[in-house]
Amino acid sequence: MNYMPGTAKKHLVLLRDGRTLIGYLRSIDQFANLVLHQTVERIHVGKKYGDIPRGIFVVRGENVVLLGEIDLEKESDTPLQQVSIEEILEEQRVEQQAKQESEKLKVQALKERGLSVPRADTLDEY
Amino acid sequence: MAEEDEELDLYNEMTFGLDRDSTEENAAKTLVLPEKSPELAAVGVEEAQAVEQLGPGADEGQLLLEELGEPQGEGGMELEAEQVDYVEEEEEEEELGAEEQEEEQEPEEEPYEEPNDLGDPAVMRAVQSKPTLESQDSAVLDSRIGSAWAEFGKEDMLAMDPAVWSSCPGSIPPHHMLEDKAILQVLERPPPSANMALDFLGSPVQRGYAGSPRLKHPDFRVMSPKSFPQRFLRQQSPLMARSACSPRHFTPARRASPLFASNQAAGFASPAPFRPMSPNISTPPRPLAMHFGPMSPSLDPSLFFSPSASGQLNLSVPSHMTQLHPQHQRILTQRQQQGGQAQSISPKKMWSPKVDPYARLMTSKEKDWVIKVQMIQLQSENMDDDYYYQTYYHRLERKQAEEELLGGRNKQEPPKLVTPFIQKVETYDSVVRIAGSLGQVAVSTCYSPRRAIDAVHHALVEEAAGSHRLRALHRIERLFLQLLEVEETQRKMSLAPEEEQPCFQEQKSQEVGRIYQALKIRACSSEEEAEDEFLQVLCVRKGKKLTARLLPHLAEEQAEKILLTITHHLPFLMKKDMLDESLPLLYGPLNEMVGRTTFSKLIEVLQEMTRPLPESAELPLTMALKNQFGISLLYSLLSHGEKLLSSDTPLEPHSGDFEKWTDTVFLVARELSQVPKTSLVEPLFLPSNLLSLFCRYLDKQTIHHLEAKMECSPLPSEAAMPC
Repeated sequence: MNYMPGTAKKHLVLLRDGRTLIGYLRSIDQFANLVLHQTVERIHVGKKYGDIPRGIFVVRGENVVLLGEIDLEKESDTPLQQVSIEEILEEQRVEQQAKQESEKLKVQALKERGLSVPRADTLDEY
Repeated sequence: MAEEDEELDLYNEMTFGLDRDSTEENAAKTLVLPEKSPELAAVGVEEAQAVEQLGPGADEGQLLLEELGEPQGEGGMELEAEQVDYVEEEEEEEELGAEEQEEEQEPEEEPYEEPNDLGDPAVMRAVQSKPTLESQDSAVLDSRIGSAWAEFGKEDMLAMDPAVWSSCPGSIPPHHMLEDKAILQVLERPPPSANMALDFLGSPVQRGYAGSPRLKHPDFRVMSPKSFPQRFLRQQSPLMARSACSPRHFTPARRASPLFASNQAAGFASPAPFRPMSPNISTPPRPLAMHFGPMSPSLDPSLFFSPSASGQLNLSVPSHMTQLHPQHQRILTQRQQQGGQAQSISPKKMWSPKVDPYARLMTSKEKDWVIKVQMIQLQSENMDDDYYYQTYYHRLERKQAEEELLGGRNKQEPPKLVTPFIQKVETYDSVVRIAGSLGQVAVSTCYSPRRAIDAVHHALVEEAAGSHRLRALHRIERLFLQLLEVEETQRKMSLAPEEEQPCFQEQKSQEVGRIYQALKIRACSSEEEAEDEFLQVLCVRKGKKLTARLLPHLAEEQAEKILLTITHHLPFLMKKDMLDESLPLLYGPLNEMVGRTTFSKLIEVLQEMTRPLPESAELPLTMALKNQFGISLLYSLLSHGEKLLSSDTPLEPHSGDFEKWTDTVFLVARELSQVPKTSLVEPLFLPSNLLSLFCRYLDKQTIHHLEAKMECSPLPSEAAMPC
């Protein structure tokens, strides 16, 4: 329940752009601006994940989706498999590509039927 | 040039003394400056005086002096420098812990003011001014600490030839210049340039940049200002030597760094304005990765500094350390002492539970404050209206009830939300409320009259325009506000205990009456419909909503009057509603209302629908069949009539009621059968007893025909039908 920074407490932050950051939350303010220390960006692809060390992050509150405390004991107790950074980035790239392919096919199919789905980037977020 | 101005100011200050300022920041400076004497007295004398004058906080410094014994020329300067360091540290530590000790320390300022003539500028005083502000704001902090620099600068400044100052920077070694400017800046009070420097050095990166050139020569800062170049050079060597041979770089650096570390802004100030002037300073723009904690082996601290510097210093203190808040820095130095040099720890490694220097980075006070701010947002005046409050407590109670059932524990009281007490800000009654000022200031107060001027302009223009519709809209707005108040009263009434309910009821009926009056309903008037204000209100969607919401609150006769009016003007309303199609909004409340009418009233209403219209051949009835609302209303009326007839309650009809009723039914049936199926609209709700109604009066064939038309569900059994 207490999400405040404290001793030996790791936090997980999910950002609006989909990034997952894990680090020691050092400071927070009323706007949920965060100061993360020894942050690691964790990329998940399937059952694998990779960590990229990023150092210190100062995150503007409006970009935070959620913030949670990590139970340090349960942290290692995960079915996910950690891989190297290169590997995970490769996996991510592959996944993105596959998604793009399927998206293209979808759009094509819709176009043939006379429907058009607005592209996400030309659409407002809300 | 700016430097010339600065230097002149400095000169003036030193010569003529400073005015006593009331500001805290300057208290220290004022203490220090008047004490300076241009002459550098014999070091022994100085020291003695220093010893006398040093406060309790500088005991260490005293000890050091004594330890070192009788100082010689340069040695003396060194000592003083060291002493200064210690004093600085003392001060710094005092600041750090001294948030609550302002009162304690203030009186100590006094003793130091006296020995002006004896004061040696080079000797640091244990200046203790109000630390609170400074300790919390690094920028402010520096200006106070910066006064310490004055000690150094004094004698040199005076002796200095302005020409020296204005000489081409290039001719002076960069480190010299750095010092000068730093001292200059520090001596100024309240140094506008320094302050500006403080202010614009917002970004840590900038500070990083600033830090790096400065850090190249931290040791030099420790020394007395360079205006005596020989002395400087002399001093340079011992310190250099010291740093060169000491494997533990940290110690001298530690001494040096507190000076300018706490001196953050002043330190920043120095390099930043200098950069354009000192070509010798290596280009700072190198993004400094801030690694406060254990650094990965890939980062060599010396990388932070220019190559030229690293040869000399090789400080282990990263440049960013100078930008640390003294508290942070203290933690860091603590850590450094414990942990030693850079450790190769991967970012993922957990902090050992014992040593996590940043764990207290956010004080509990700050945490509480953030929580308090969040709690304040939870406060609301009207808890009943607050959706989040209500849902939260419902959920909580439900959860507890579940737990109770499962665990069989005693009933726990749901914890009450305790929000911090916030005094409600006195609301200022506006002078003018401006309607129709969408997106602009809608309230003109005497604090901000100008802002509303544009809005007023627009509002006036609108008023003048005044079309029917607009006027109707205005009225609806006003009435809606009143209605909302009524509903508020209703809500309060439902929550209030039994005794208070009548008074609420009274209040409510008064308010309702007011609204009703305002609506100016003239039932069954033959006036021009365009003139009828109530009808105009009804033409607007919002007006219909208003009426629909108002109906449940109205007294019986009032509601009936509305029903009559609507039915009377039904064709008009239907015509007006063709685009909007918002009449169905009224159906619900009207239906309920119809269900409560008496038979006679019902007949009266139905008469409205069956009376012939002057303009058209069609009956309102027929027109109603083609309108969803109309047909629904009609069915509702008929259904209610049937219900009344088939029930056992005495109807108390007026004379001629029954005939009218029968006539109406026949008429409806006839119209229904005549109207083509395509133009017959499906009603909002089809009452089930209509067919039985028709059964009473009509023959089987017709009934079948109507059944098909109306798409009613067939009657349960024909045998059961009376006809």
